[in-house]
Amino acid sequence: MDILAIFFLVTGLIFFTGGAIGIIRMPDFYSRLHPAGKLDTLGIFAMVLGLIFYSLHHFSMDTLISILKMLLIVFFVFLSSPTATHSIVDAGMRAGLRHWTKKKRR
Amino acid sequence: MLQQYSEQAGGQKIEIHSSNHSFALWRLLLYATADFPAWGDPNSPANSYLSPHYIQKSIEETGVPNLVTSVLADYRGFDTMFETAVVFCAGLACFLLLRNFKQKEENFYRHIPTGVIIQFKKGDKTLPVGKEFEHIDTEWIPYDLIIKTVCRILIPFIQLYALYVVAHGDFSPGGGFQGGVIFGSSLMLYAIAYNLRTLVQRVKEKLLGLFCAIGVLIYAGIGVVCMALGGNFLDYGKLSQILPVDPGHIRAYGMLGVEIGVGITVMAAMVIIYVNIVSIGRHDEGL
Repeated sequence: MDILAIFFLVTGLIFFTGGAIGIIRMPDFYSRLHPAGKLDTLGIFAMVLGLIFYSLHHFSMDTLISILKMLLIVFFVFLSSPTATHSIVDAGMRAGLRHWTKKKRR
Repeated sequence: MLQQYSEQAGGQKIEIHSSNHSFALWRLLLYATADFPAWGDPNSPANSYLSPHYIQKSIEETGVPNLVTSVLADYRGFDTMFETAVVFCAGLACFLLLRNFKQKEENFYRHIPTGVIIQFKKGDKTLPVGKEFEHIDTEWIPYDLIIKTVCRILIPFIQLYALYVVAHGDFSPGGGFQGGVIFGSSLMLYAIAYNLRTLVQRVKEKLLGLFCAIGVLIYAGIGVVCMALGGNFLDYGKLSQILPVDPGHIRAYGMLGVEIGVGITVMAAMVIIYVNIVSIGRHDEGL
């Protein structure tokens, strides 16, 4: 259990680090939103999975309820985060922001 | 803040006068702070007996597990009542300053099945619209199916969570202010996902104003009821004469009633402020 927990926590950490670096390093608005959306979904999922395995040490009703709550968090993040990213991109397109190309230096 | 504002607003002469005045006021306030006890002074009244009293006696005196709530809503209930009144005044001020009742010259209607847009100039606004037409803005954008669907799923949960935060304020972090803000934000999400006109049709302006006042009324009313039962203003312990509950928890119930009042006011004031600001008082288009 511990190994699984550590594995998933580290995976989540890698995703979060990559996403954070991506937000800073990506060249323009749209490509920055890409890591922002990614890290909110898979990163959180891996992290919560790790925490679930960690809390499975003592199996009881209480842990079951807390696991359910954590899964609910994942569910709502999965719903809201891509929607938010989608609406931000939509707003950017409507406002007429051009995407970044290699020729045009930002 | 005051000084900056007067510099922006007035002409030169007024500016100098007002900034002198505000500077004098500032100096007076600063002078008065010299009488305050030093920061973290162990002998100050707040630290010598008030805080220890709150911390040690809170549970036995009020029966509320959350210390913050008991200080906020019971020991300092009077203060919180006027904070609620301030929120009410903020909503009222936004309404009075920004609300614009003038009808617009042009109205646009969109035929939903075909997407044809009809413009009315100076006409009466009430086109006998059935389900076929909708009244739209000049900055109309097509509804986004994804955002609409997700918001429709999420809004009930947000509102449920807001009610939980209000109701659970005396056991865990939360309370009327936070719950009211969450509830208000769910209504704003509705306005963002659909459009402002949909929200204004669904939640009437008069209803919001009424709610805004009712919240403060609930708060003050509980205080007055306590007075009528022979206690001090907001002395929740006296409510046990009319409520058939365990006397040990009566103060928690009093606080819950007060928190509900706060929540209603904050929710309504948030929505009033949002609606008036995004549409510059017209209540038709906006974000």
